[in-house]
Amino acid sequence: MNMKEDEKWQSLLLASAPTFAGETVLPYGFLTSTLARLQEEQKTQEQLEKIGLRALFASLVVLAITAAVTLDLQFQNKRDFEPGIRSLIQVENIQVS
Amino acid sequence: MDQPIDIADCLQRWKKGDENAAAELVRHLYPFVSKIARTHLPRRDHEEDLIQEILMKTFSRLHQYKGDAPLSHWVSRLALTTCLDRLRAQKVRPEIRWADLSPEDQDVFDASRLEGSASDASGAIQARDLVDKILSTLPPEDRSLILMIDLEGKSMQEISIATGWGLSKIKMRLFRIRTQLRKTMQNLKERL
Repeated sequence: MNMKEDEKWQSLLLASAPTFAGETVLPYGFLTSTLARLQEEQKTQEQLEKIGLRALFASLVVLAITAAVTLDLQFQNKRDFEPGIRSLIQVENIQVS
Repeated sequence: MDQPIDIADCLQRWKKGDENAAAELVRHLYPFVSKIARTHLPRRDHEEDLIQEILMKTFSRLHQYKGDAPLSHWVSRLALTTCLDRLRAQKVRPEIRWADLSPEDQDVFDASRLEGSASDASGAIQARDLVDKILSTLPPEDRSLILMIDLEGKSMQEISIATGWGLSKIKMRLFRIRTQLRKTMQNLKERL
């Protein structure tokens, strides 16, 4: 029983086999349209890469500025005394170099 | 792939932006990709679009090709994956019955015998239509697997290389597919 179903299937497949064979010759206009699409995709990719690089550069600049400002503020804060000590210095007129 | 070309040279030139190299590669790969696309093409999909999509993917990933295996192996895997992705978008029919067949399909089914392949192109197209309907009851991977075995005559080892599936997985799938196909053919034979 099973063999008959298998044979039927094989027979149908065999009958349809020519429709599965691939084309050997490029259809008219295929090469031109493929190359055009390829060129377009390459351009898009290049543009995306440019945008990505610019965004990266901009974020690096922002990061550098933020770091500089933070360090500067921290450096300034280090030179500052606490309010209590500052008032003591003022009262005693201690020279702080 | 009947015209031998220097693949390595073509790839080098393509990387340098030579468009002629791309044209040579397209010409070289076209028959090969066309065969895979036609075999694993989902119903109602445009073959040319699918071939172009496969070629676009090939070119966009060519930098990943190391050259340790033939380019055809690398491209065939890419092509098969693309076809399977497209097939996944289609719904799998739960089953197909005699009433689902057109009168032409029914004639083809009744007329088919093992020794008798379709003698003309229209007969082959009719048979293909029926084969596609039967195949639509299988999940995408199963559909491709049975065609690789029964139509292309590929060995399990070759399928394993092409798909990345293990041999035991292939054997198990094949057993399940055969059972399913027998059930479908039985239903059709008994006019269910």
